[in-house]
Amino acid sequence: MLPFTFYSPTKIVFGEDTAYGVGDILKELGGSRPFVVSDANLVAAGVLRAVLESLKEAGLGDPVIFDQVPPDSDLDCVRSASALARQHGCDCIVAVGGGSVIDTGKAANISLVLDGDIRDFEGMHAVPRALAPLVVLPTTAGTGSEVSAVAMVKNKDEHTKLAFGSYYLFPSVAVLDPKLLMSLPPKLTAATGMDALTHAIECFCATTTNPASDALCLESMRMIFQDLCRATMHGDDLDARSSTLIASTMAGIAFTNGGVGIVHALAHTVGARYDTHHGVTNAIFLPYGMIFNMAACAHRFAFAFRSLCAALRAAPEPVGHWFAGASQHDSQAAEQLIEAVRQLHRACRLPTRLRDIGVPALSQDEISELAVVASTDSAIMFNVREASVEDLEYILKGAW
Amino acid sequence: MAVFCNSDELHHVMDMLWRRIKDDPGMSGKLVEAKLIVQFRYRDPEGTLTIDCSDGNEMKIIVGPTRLKPVIEMSMKADIAHEFWLGKVNVPMAIISGKIVSRGPTPKALALLPVIRPAYTLYPQVLQDAGKKSA
Repeated sequence: MLPFTFYSPTKIVFGEDTAYGVGDILKELGGSRPFVVSDANLVAAGVLRAVLESLKEAGLGDPVIFDQVPPDSDLDCVRSASALARQHGCDCIVAVGGGSVIDTGKAANISLVLDGDIRDFEGMHAVPRALAPLVVLPTTAGTGSEVSAVAMVKNKDEHTKLAFGSYYLFPSVAVLDPKLLMSLPPKLTAATGMDALTHAIECFCATTTNPASDALCLESMRMIFQDLCRATMHGDDLDARSSTLIASTMAGIAFTNGGVGIVHALAHTVGARYDTHHGVTNAIFLPYGMIFNMAACAHRFAFAFRSLCAALRAAPEPVGHWFAGASQHDSQAAEQLIEAVRQLHRACRLPTRLRDIGVPALSQDEISELAVVASTDSAIMFNVREASVEDLEYILKGAW
Repeated sequence: MAVFCNSDELHHVMDMLWRRIKDDPGMSGKLVEAKLIVQFRYRDPEGTLTIDCSDGNEMKIIVGPTRLKPVIEMSMKADIAHEFWLGKVNVPMAIISGKIVSRGPTPKALALLPVIRPAYTLYPQVLQDAGKKSA
């Protein structure tokens, strides 16, 4: 067995109304002047109410609120956020939102504590020391950013995503309150859930996975297949919301320690170029990436599918039908897993082609350019099968 | 016990290796095309090596400190560098675990890994020519 390191220092607090405990959590962490990062829609929808009440009750005064995070955060946003936090002397951060908000909180924390421009810390382990306490409350169930050591921030000028990776970027505490997800629309619920499923499936087959990540991936897959449709169709179903939220966090811990792969490399590339939603883009590429990886890890897909069958064959329809039985042959069982992914994708009513999400018809030169960029994405280095530029072009064409 | 006795020996070996990479048009051509300045910072023993391809014409090898600002900086123990050139390092794992620290657009450097892979076969000879016994 290959040596590995598994590290997940973020404390996880799960439960309905746990958002009301944020003030006490921050005080325990030594925070006195909180900086709250979120987006305008969440503020308008009242999603921050519990957090703000909690901060007030804990005597943490009027927090400074930055609610200008766009769906795909960028360097300008991070610089504005950290400047505001510095201006008000903030010493801790609360991020309430999806992956973009949480990543903004992480990146702003770098600029808040360390001197220099945020770009000086781009890379892996380039943050030299501990940052301010960071408490995160995800309002989507997908990115896993609440437990990851990475922040992705867009560079609008260069159409690229910058990666900041460091153990110091792990949030101090992740508060998983399923009630914060109640207002998440069906399409976003489905898209973010497919993002989490992509984390679990890609990590399970990555070159750098390990037994601890594997266990998290398998359980995460089970919970997502079991409950994502329900959470999508019945947003007020707290059990389904809880299940997908926990599954997303588990997949986040897994991929932080085990990596992702070709699907993420392609989704990062297309997303940066055409502003497509990360979860939807992952969902579109996932079956194509799995088919490509079949040659290297059919036995892993088969193992996952057989485990899922054992757990889900008695699940309510349609899920039970997808996992009614597994083939004895690895390649066929692997294909069954890919088909189950497609079924879930369709059941969640997400687009299945790049052309359906705003990616225009591409010339051969444009496809080649995208493929070259994807071939240098950091996610692809963990992929179980080496992919050439031609392989990536083929997948891009198929997914369009 | 560290592979390299001191900074001079480390610099000597790495300089010799990169000069042979430079002499190989298959590798140097693609590195020059990338137009990057990549700096390797070693510890135990200390060392710095900068590969400057920024003008897109020539690969310059700078041993020791320089005022050039690298686009990408990779820091690691000299022993990790030694294992890397022997083809024994799982680079993704080394990056995840922090054995290799990268500053700057890491993917641009990772994209060059396949380009320099043929140098794995050059390294044992470099060690031998530098008077190192073990490969």
